Amino acid sequence: MAGLTSFVYNTVFRSNVTMLTTVFASAFAMQLAFDTGSDRIWDSINRGRQWKDVKVRYVQKAEDDDDE
Amino acid sequence: MPALANTTRAIARSWTQHSLPVARAGCVAMQSRDASTSTFESPFKGQGSTKIPSFGHYKKTGGDENGPKLMSYFMVGTMGALASLGAKATVQDFLVNMSASADVLAQAKVEIDLAAIPEGKNVIIKWRGKPVFIRHRTEGEIKEAEDTKWESLRDPQKDADRVKKPEWLIMLGVCTHLGCVPIGEAGDFGGWFCPCHGSHYDISGRIRKGPAPLNLEIPEYDFPEDGKVVIG
Repeated sequence: MAGLTSFVYNTVFRSNVTMLTTVFASAFAMQLAFDTGSDRIWDSINRGRQWKDVKVRYVQKAEDDDDE
Repeated sequence: MPALANTTRAIARSWTQHSLPVARAGCVAMQSRDASTSTFESPFKGQGSTKIPSFGHYKKTGGDENGPKLMSYFMVGTMGALASLGAKATVQDFLVNMSASADVLAQAKVEIDLAAIPEGKNVIIKWRGKPVFIRHRTEGEIKEAEDTKWESLRDPQKDADRVKKPEWLIMLGVCTHLGCVPIGEAGDFGGWFCPCHGSHYDISGRIRKGPAPLNLEIPEYDFPEDGKVVIG
């Protein structure tokens, strides 16, 4: 435990540059995770009701109409 | 008089000699009585003002000394990350708000089926309120456009810089002189001729004769698949 905390302290927090880099990188990662996660939650709540879910049926129908 | 003076002096001296220890003792007695009855222990009592109260109670005993440091830095870093996230989202929202919306972008593009244009024919379409010339050039026209000595022209430009596919010449149909629409397949150089002030453009849309200063402008376009062109 002591080794781990001192390792993290020395690698991440000791130098200001590495700390700032880590902060901005983690901000980027957090945004990515938040966006994909909220999109997934939205899609799971609205499953079967969005255009991308029902598109298959209507596009198929339109092509059939063209063939007829 | 001298006897009286001597007597008062002696009394005064004896009084001062005795009264001071008495007063001091009284003070000490009061102090000690106060100390015994009050629960407050002054840290400056007795030993002077150099006695420092003990903060040993707050001292972390044993364990890792990096732990609390790590925790506070982690909190600072998380705060910074969240703040930068919010700042970035705010700025991005404003910038997105200022950029063109999806319907405007959709209207700004025109898709044309090139299979309908036979070789050696011009087509004029409207794009963003301006005419666009599309010319399906023949082999001879391509050769003529490429062999022209472009270095000595008024607006020197290679034919390869003006087309993405040599057989398709796509350019804005607005004369660079005063904005008339040139006539196709006319003029001294087999290209376009502006009837307003007599500018002659060649088969690559380059100005060859007349008052216009620049070649006909090339819009942004792309061939997403064979036989299709998207302008814009």
